[in-house]
Amino acid sequence: MAIIRRIGNLFRRTSIDREIDAELVSHIDMRTEENIARGMTPEEARRDALVRFGNRTATREQVASADATLGLDRLWADLRYAWRQLVKSPGFSITAVVTIALGIGLNTAIFSSMDAVVLRPLAVPAVDRVVTIAERQERGSDEGIALANYEDWVRQSRSFEEMAVRTSADMSLTGAGDATHVSAALTSASFFSVLRIQPVLGRLFSENECQPGRDAVALLNYGYWQRQFAGQPTVLGRHVQLDQRDYTIIGILPKGVQYPAEADFFLPFAPTPQLLGNRSAHDYLVLGRLRNDVSVRQAQAELGTIAGQLAKIYPTTNQGWSVRVEPLLDGINGDLTPLYYRLLMGATLFVLLVVCANVANLQFARGIERRPEIAMRTALGAGRMRLLRQLLTENLLLGLIGAGGGLLFGTVYLRLTLVLMPERIARHMSGWSNISLNGRVFAFSLVLALLTGLLSGIAPAFEALRINLADQLKAGARSTTASSKSHRLRSIFAIAQVALALALVIGAALMAKGMGAQLHVADAYKPRSVLVFQTALPPARYDTPQKQAAWYDDSLEALRALPGVTHANVTNAMPYSDWGWNRDVEIENRPTMPGKDQSALHVIVSADYFAAFHIGIVEGRGFLPTDSLQSTPVAVVSRRFVARYFPGQNPLGHRIRMGRRDSHEAWVTIVGVAEETKYTLWDQNKYAAVYADATQMPSPTTTYAVMTTGRDALSVAGPVRKALARLDPALPLDAVETYRQSLNESLIGLMYTAGMISVDALIALLLAAIGIFGVMANLVGERRREIGVRLAMGARREDVLRMILARASRLTGLGIGVGLVLAFLLTRAMANLFVGVRPGDPVVFGLVTGSIACIAVLSSWIPARRAARADPLQALRSE
Amino acid sequence: MAKTDLQGTLDLLVLKTLAQNGALHGYGIVLHIQSASNELLRVEEGSLYPALHRMEQNGWIHAEWALTETNRRAKYYKLTAQGRKQLQQAEESFDQLVKGVRAVLRYA
Repeated sequence: MAIIRRIGNLFRRTSIDREIDAELVSHIDMRTEENIARGMTPEEARRDALVRFGNRTATREQVASADATLGLDRLWADLRYAWRQLVKSPGFSITAVVTIALGIGLNTAIFSSMDAVVLRPLAVPAVDRVVTIAERQERGSDEGIALANYEDWVRQSRSFEEMAVRTSADMSLTGAGDATHVSAALTSASFFSVLRIQPVLGRLFSENECQPGRDAVALLNYGYWQRQFAGQPTVLGRHVQLDQRDYTIIGILPKGVQYPAEADFFLPFAPTPQLLGNRSAHDYLVLGRLRNDVSVRQAQAELGTIAGQLAKIYPTTNQGWSVRVEPLLDGINGDLTPLYYRLLMGATLFVLLVVCANVANLQFARGIERRPEIAMRTALGAGRMRLLRQLLTENLLLGLIGAGGGLLFGTVYLRLTLVLMPERIARHMSGWSNISLNGRVFAFSLVLALLTGLLSGIAPAFEALRINLADQLKAGARSTTASSKSHRLRSIFAIAQVALALALVIGAALMAKGMGAQLHVADAYKPRSVLVFQTALPPARYDTPQKQAAWYDDSLEALRALPGVTHANVTNAMPYSDWGWNRDVEIENRPTMPGKDQSALHVIVSADYFAAFHIGIVEGRGFLPTDSLQSTPVAVVSRRFVARYFPGQNPLGHRIRMGRRDSHEAWVTIVGVAEETKYTLWDQNKYAAVYADATQMPSPTTTYAVMTTGRDALSVAGPVRKALARLDPALPLDAVETYRQSLNESLIGLMYTAGMISVDALIALLLAAIGIFGVMANLVGERRREIGVRLAMGARREDVLRMILARASRLTGLGIGVGLVLAFLLTRAMANLFVGVRPGDPVVFGLVTGSIACIAVLSSWIPARRAARADPLQALRSE
Repeated sequence: MAKTDLQGTLDLLVLKTLAQNGALHGYGIVLHIQSASNELLRVEEGSLYPALHRMEQNGWIHAEWALTETNRRAKYYKLTAQGRKQLQQAEESFDQLVKGVRAVLRYA
């Protein structure tokens, strides 16, 4: 076999070389002999033979390659040569490798996190076959499924291998330490087979256990198992109390599938026969695994047909309802997370471009130093392709070493991002726990390494080969200047670096500014000194409004009595929380116009709320302790409410009712008008507000806001817990934190993105500064002789300094010009995506441009000064 | 269709030379082609030796070191059975090439 012989030859390279040489020498010798026999002198004969033979080294190389054409051998030789070359100029190599490592490391880290969170959040086999199904009314948004409809789909549809139903419940866990609040997912047994989930421990529940009375078994989410039970396998078989009912833990679900993300417990969904016949309670979520030959569209069409038939049979409940099928992954992350990630990945790839430009610039500089070497090798018969391949091999080697460093750096960076993400947020992101450096990530960085090597190497390599052989050899060891084309290319790379860096820094600065503004919206409330937490009164024990109202009165009184507490209130919406209850409003004796939106946020607060949050009452009164379940229901409305629905009128004394037209709620009398307060953060809608008194309209779930005199409200968390536990030891308190922390949580996505883009921007800036420095230092180095002549002819040092700085300014100016255009386009796009980012912010644009100009001039200052300080004699002599 | 290019032609010349002369060294092949073609063809050493080694790797020819008439060590090449088959194919395809080129040239 020829191939085997050639591979064999790879290992005998030196002996083969010797043999080839011997063969070629014998050829020359034979011709020499014959020439002598023809009567030439020995010298003539030898000369003739050599001339006729041509370039022996080149021929030997070609013969050798015929013996091992697989090319592996040459690649190996090239790599070894490249390594020697890199070792020979350690300054260059280390700079290039570190630069590339930074670029690839950043990209690797961001990619692995994006891969886990956005691209593959669930480790579900053939996840593209899994869909979610929603019902919706005409022109309405997606709603849940009514169980009777689900039952009909399961019976009639042919598109699915299997369907599953789930719903969620908030429960209180007792009997395992403090009473806590847990999220449970109630699922059909088929849920696990649709997602192809196997438990890591124990077993799943069966069809049989999904029946009322037999459903006292529970599965644990992996993360919850780790957090709550320290990952102990002994937890299997243990009993826990959920909402005062006993459950046995029978299994642990795998780490890779956190769906639904917030669920701590998975319990069997055991519907009663009444529920199974219900077609109007749209409370359930349905999943399905499509058969292999069925598309999402086909499934949608089939369920649509069934829905149409159901609408004919059950017009009162099903008329106007349609079905929507969508891939499971589309619904996992919502809109913002993929957006943040795409933006971040884009910015980080930008940084890699800057890295490429930087390494290319280094290569240009080195190319000039290497001209004698290239010239010598050309003269010895190396072909252009051969040299090109050699130079590119060097770049690929640089890229690969850089990628190795990049993986190290990326790991550290990734660890850092993982550690900095608060656990409470992380567990709501399905893929977060899957983040790791895996095969895909390695492949990604390998591809980046090769691309970086090629991108940064190709232009300098071609430039290095464009040499005039005769001139170069004549010039001998004397250094030569680069061609004007090379200078132009290098200037373009430097300009590109400045432009990219400017665009990135401006983008990052605008994001940071937008984020900063959002961070301080609530400063007037001293959010660090406000403790917030939630409670949900168990309906079993607090079954009447009287009991609920009594609890609120008692608990608030107990909290206000604590030392250091100035105000204690309940509210169902905190300012700037982006959380509220937007409801239709009906005004007495005023017909509502169909299609005209008449709504307001329904904020249910305790009496002291207005004082605590500095909300002025501009007309009428606020809530009083005398307002109770027995007295007339009253409401306070916001100024915007008055402007919108009572323009130019006195709203006091008018009665309004919350809810849709058929609402059974009581009419409430407007007794006061309050200053406007913002309840939204990202939401851009301007809501009017209607405040109700929590004593008159107690709700089972609410948020407590406890204002303290201290700097950190967490210091009262302990006393607060104790005080409430004295009133009801079994009531769990959720999400106990400061108002500041809770605000930060809604900003975490943006903070993350802004933080990482800032890292990107800083690195780009640093690289751009190095780039300018490199270009100028090289220019000065090349022009030493010219500068020497200028100085010798009487040029002043300031002239030289000005000359060099003028050139640097020209490059920077061009870069800034291009960068401003880029930045403007970038920030326009960002402003559409992010609330709070203003595209044409003159302050940010001005400041960033100014500082980049300064950095650029500073980084060219050192080489410029070196030039100006040059001793003309020495400069001239060195040539 | 005849598949022929310049490299193929060099292979053909070398194979034919070896078929007619038994074992020959590189220099001998150069001399033979030169004289057999009435000095019309001159083989470049820079192409010959890579071609010889490639054919050897393909198993068409076999090489061994031997002494020349003047007692000099040289590498002698000899046709293998596989090489003989290759020669036949190369001759046929060359004939076709010549015919084809002729036909095109004659076409008016």
